[in-house]
Amino acid sequence: MAFQILLNFILAFAWMFILNSFDASTFIIGWLLGLMLIIMMRRFFPGPVYIKRVWAILKLVLLFIKELWLANIQVFLLVIKPKLDIKPAIFRYPTKLTNDWEITVLSALITLTPGTVVMNVSEDKKTLYVHTLHVDDIEEAVTSIRDSFEKAILEVSRP
Amino acid sequence: MKSSDVILQTATKVVFFLIFLFAIHIFFAGHYTPGGGFVGGLLTASAIVLLLLAFDLKTVSRALPFNYTIMIAIGLLLALGTASASILFDVPFFTHAYDYFDLPLFGETSLHSAMLFDLGVYLVVVGATMNIILTIGSDD
Repeated sequence: MAFQILLNFILAFAWMFILNSFDASTFIIGWLLGLMLIIMMRRFFPGPVYIKRVWAILKLVLLFIKELWLANIQVFLLVIKPKLDIKPAIFRYPTKLTNDWEITVLSALITLTPGTVVMNVSEDKKTLYVHTLHVDDIEEAVTSIRDSFEKAILEVSRP
Repeated sequence: MKSSDVILQTATKVVFFLIFLFAIHIFFAGHYTPGGGFVGGLLTASAIVLLLLAFDLKTVSRALPFNYTIMIAIGLLLALGTASASILFDVPFFTHAYDYFDLPLFGETSLHSAMLFDLGVYLVVVGATMNIILTIGSDD
């Protein structure tokens, strides 16, 4: 992954030196040509082509924006209700993620989508304690987080 | 139920660099725009304090093995040296000099001896703030 990006960088530089023109447009053309070569030679690398991971990161960002909109509209509807019939709850969320940054990104995503707040991470980093504003079915809440955010983060870290 | 500081520590590892970079920017911006040695020093100290909040005292002292008392001394010497250098050129105390230099990467830059004085202020502020906090924070 990192090696591929470095190789692409070196190829783009080599392209600049071949053409003897050192500006941004030549560099970008060299980068695209290097990317084409790397995709052609993808069988020789141990991991997948890094574009896959870039695409996964982009998908994660888009998913976050979508969820932010949806959740804010939900909270708005809760606020303007004349009758307050919310059912707050704190539930355990067993996570499959292991790296520190993965857990941090997941917690940030859960917290920034209103209605749910990560309160705590257990010491063995296997459980997140999530407070939610309104929950009908805890199992459903857990699976919704698992299928949206955790899946997207897993795609970024282990494509 | 024991909890782990994983979120705080991971966020600190990223945010520390951002604060430090901003502190350097504020320090150099002090000549023409708001900023300067004092604010830059305080920002740098706040970045180190954030590290102290996320990690423990031992880890931070091992990662940044500075003696802050000596840092204060160096800062005061720099400020005093810049101020008294004017005596050598037969001009009043604290007279500053500046000139334009053609530096690589930066191009035409004006270098002012007030920046050295500011660096002294910066070092004194970082040293004093960290000294106060570490003296209160450590148990021994």
